[in-house]
Amino acid sequence: MERETLEVDVLIVGGGPAGLAAALRLAQLQKEATCEPLAIAVLEKAAEMGQHMLSGAVLDPSSLRQLVPDFEAKGAPLASPVHADRVYFLTETGKIKFPFTPPPLVNHGNYVISLNKFVKWMAGLVEAEGIDVFTGFPGAGLLMDGDAVVGVRTGDRGIDKHGEHKPAFEPGADIRAKVTIFAEGVRGSLTKELHRRLELAKGRQPENFGIGLKELWELPPGRLPAGTVIHSMGYPLRFEEYGGGFIYGLPDNQAAVGFVVGLDYKDPLFDPHAAFQRYKTHPLVKDLLDGGRMVHYGAKALPYGGWYTIPRCYMDGGLIVGDSASLLNSMRLKGIHLAMKSGMLAAETAFDAIRAGDTSAAKLRDYQTKLESSSIRKELYPVRNNHQAFSYGFLPGMMFAGLSLLTGGWWFKPLPGHAGHDEMRKIGDYYGRSGRAVPEGASNAIKPDRKVTFDKLTDVHHSGTRHDEDQPVHLLVHTEVCHTICTEEYGNPCQRFCPANVYEMVVVEGAGRQLQINASNCVHCKTCDIMDPYQVITWVPPEGGGGPQYDGM
Amino acid sequence: MILVIAEQRNGKLNRATWETIAGAQQLAAGADLVVALPGSGVGEAAAELAAAQVKEVVTIESSAIESYTPDGYTAALQQAIAALSPSLVVLPHTYQTRDFAPKLAARMERALVTDVTGFKAAGADTAFVRPMFQGKLTADVVPQGPAPHFVTFQIGAFRADQAAKGAAPAPVRAMSVTVDGSAIRQKPEAPFQEARQAVDLSQAERIVAVGRGIKGQEHMAVAQKLADALGAELAASRPICDAGWLPMERQIGSSGQTVAPKLYVALGISGAIQHVVGMKGSRTIVAVNKDADAPIFEVADYGIAGDLFEIVPAIVAELAK
Repeated sequence: MERETLEVDVLIVGGGPAGLAAALRLAQLQKEATCEPLAIAVLEKAAEMGQHMLSGAVLDPSSLRQLVPDFEAKGAPLASPVHADRVYFLTETGKIKFPFTPPPLVNHGNYVISLNKFVKWMAGLVEAEGIDVFTGFPGAGLLMDGDAVVGVRTGDRGIDKHGEHKPAFEPGADIRAKVTIFAEGVRGSLTKELHRRLELAKGRQPENFGIGLKELWELPPGRLPAGTVIHSMGYPLRFEEYGGGFIYGLPDNQAAVGFVVGLDYKDPLFDPHAAFQRYKTHPLVKDLLDGGRMVHYGAKALPYGGWYTIPRCYMDGGLIVGDSASLLNSMRLKGIHLAMKSGMLAAETAFDAIRAGDTSAAKLRDYQTKLESSSIRKELYPVRNNHQAFSYGFLPGMMFAGLSLLTGGWWFKPLPGHAGHDEMRKIGDYYGRSGRAVPEGASNAIKPDRKVTFDKLTDVHHSGTRHDEDQPVHLLVHTEVCHTICTEEYGNPCQRFCPANVYEMVVVEGAGRQLQINASNCVHCKTCDIMDPYQVITWVPPEGGGGPQYDGM
Repeated sequence: MILVIAEQRNGKLNRATWETIAGAQQLAAGADLVVALPGSGVGEAAAELAAAQVKEVVTIESSAIESYTPDGYTAALQQAIAALSPSLVVLPHTYQTRDFAPKLAARMERALVTDVTGFKAAGADTAFVRPMFQGKLTADVVPQGPAPHFVTFQIGAFRADQAAKGAAPAPVRAMSVTVDGSAIRQKPEAPFQEARQAVDLSQAERIVAVGRGIKGQEHMAVAQKLADALGAELAASRPICDAGWLPMERQIGSSGQTVAPKLYVALGISGAIQHVVGMKGSRTIVAVNKDADAPIFEVADYGIAGDLFEIVPAIVAELAK
């Protein structure tokens, strides 16, 4: 098959904060060096820049200040400076306010932002530098020469659900690059493949993840001042689950309301979306939302593991940045500034390597060295054991986190980390031992009132997600265990951990219980790829341009 | 004078043309209204248009615009509009209009208001109402600058059956324009449709739709009987089509078709928002569902909380009387 090919110096896979920071930094470096301009390309699977961006979000502006010192003059869309921080521990109906805001959650000097708008703005700066941004083109496959990355193949277009070519079939293009920067976000599909081929996680702790769910609300005027930041722990989670809720006040009477749960919960019948809905029934949240209107929904996994889970981020011809490299501070609930910083460091390394004519792993290793001596280390190293401590439960975790503030994170040794999907117990083990009755659906299910709480399908509608229906299913389930072993052992947890109703067990006449994959509901959060207890689900990018539309999120 | 640009393909009028004539008649409020029909050999379609209560029908004839091209239409219409000198040009907001109208308005340096759903008549200051921000807001737009202004009416904004017919057919006049065929940069090929839909549910006056409550394929006959009794088309929500009990082209909702029949009967459909967005514009909605809390009852005009296997045969029996 004839494929188009494109040769560039630097290819950036993914147009989020990390990838765009890398692109901008490259543009700056070549201006400073007054050298022959490099050919730089950015691939983005969304139809428009920013459409797949989802975060809370509170932005620590430190990296932005370094990258774009005049960001205010350039009109950075920072919705509101943070004016007030509140942290609560919630019981079912009560709340206990923390007497002081725990230091990692002090947001003075930070901004509440819409990551969608922020990334759109960054993309404008990148395009003004003459860098090509290809929207609607996912990185679908690695181009490798032995162990060296030589580029990326973009996704084919125009394939029907049986794998046959439609009239408008267009094969993906081969984009060859001296350095490829993988900025795919959490659980990148190409990054995952790199992990497998090059053993990038060797000697590291297994990656760890959470899932964040968020709704954008329009509130009655005067309910919540812009710049108010409220975090909570406790209800509806039990001590065995890790996570909490957030409410961020935005201008124009909007609020971001969300919930984050560690993807290392034990109860196989637990449903993160149901936990989010329950959270909204707590008086603290319900009183705020009553009479308001939910206007948008989204969900996205996030890397929680911290310092010890950062993989080897360099290889021959390739670098990994941002969430793909597990760069997120789970204590501060922030990763955007780390993503941007890593993109900048990767750009500097790639620039030097290309100028030196050596893009081997030995040369690109500079990037990891820079990471380990940068502000990223300063931030992540002291909390290196904190997330692991929470695997012993909420109280030990809190105590450890408190202690580590005083000791700078000192502990006798690295606390052991476990892959989150291994933590899920089988139904028999979880319910059998305690003698508790096994619930019919989700153990934390809630009946939605369709005013403050919603079912998954309604929320999915508000994600704006769209895919061409006539294309191959992009969620590959490599097994037949679903209706046999999994139903028995875990009760098909995919139906619950997926926040978009993609997985559904249906009864087919003559064939019994079967897995039906509603692939067009997918919001690209990657949770299924992460949390499936048998690790048999692979998320691959659907046809370019498909996916959620996170305007204003 | 208000000029309506009619749309035809192979001599067959686009039905949105009649909606636009109805809207333009309301806008003209008795003032002169002229319909122009571009094309080649469009006499029959022009005679059909002459039934409308308008001053005259003008065919804009040129062999160069026998098939549609944006360059050809722009050149032909620019000449026709200059000759007719209307104060306002109104077009149906069809795919074809969306293709050439911005070019035509820009060429003539005149204001263009698209996607209009209504107007607030006030002579020269008439405000045109158009949706903004995906329909969350509507804006009143008063076009500025010299006449003629261009306005496109959204499909469905006016009703074709409200177009007033004249006592006698309006005169039909042919106007010939000279279009330089060599200046047309587009070469049209034979039109094609990627997937031919056997059934166009958007044209159905009555629809009986089934959802998960139907339980099994063998029960589809229950719904089919009701559809036959009502003279309705059979449709379904997504799970039914996913299961293959009805073909995909009969799926209503965000990933299927959007319909607005006079009567929509929802049987065993819970009313997930993905389905509701495809049928909420129906004139009368009747819902039958076991679960009295089902969201479908929020949009239904008539709701029956009960077992469709008891209720539907009873309705069929009643209709047979």
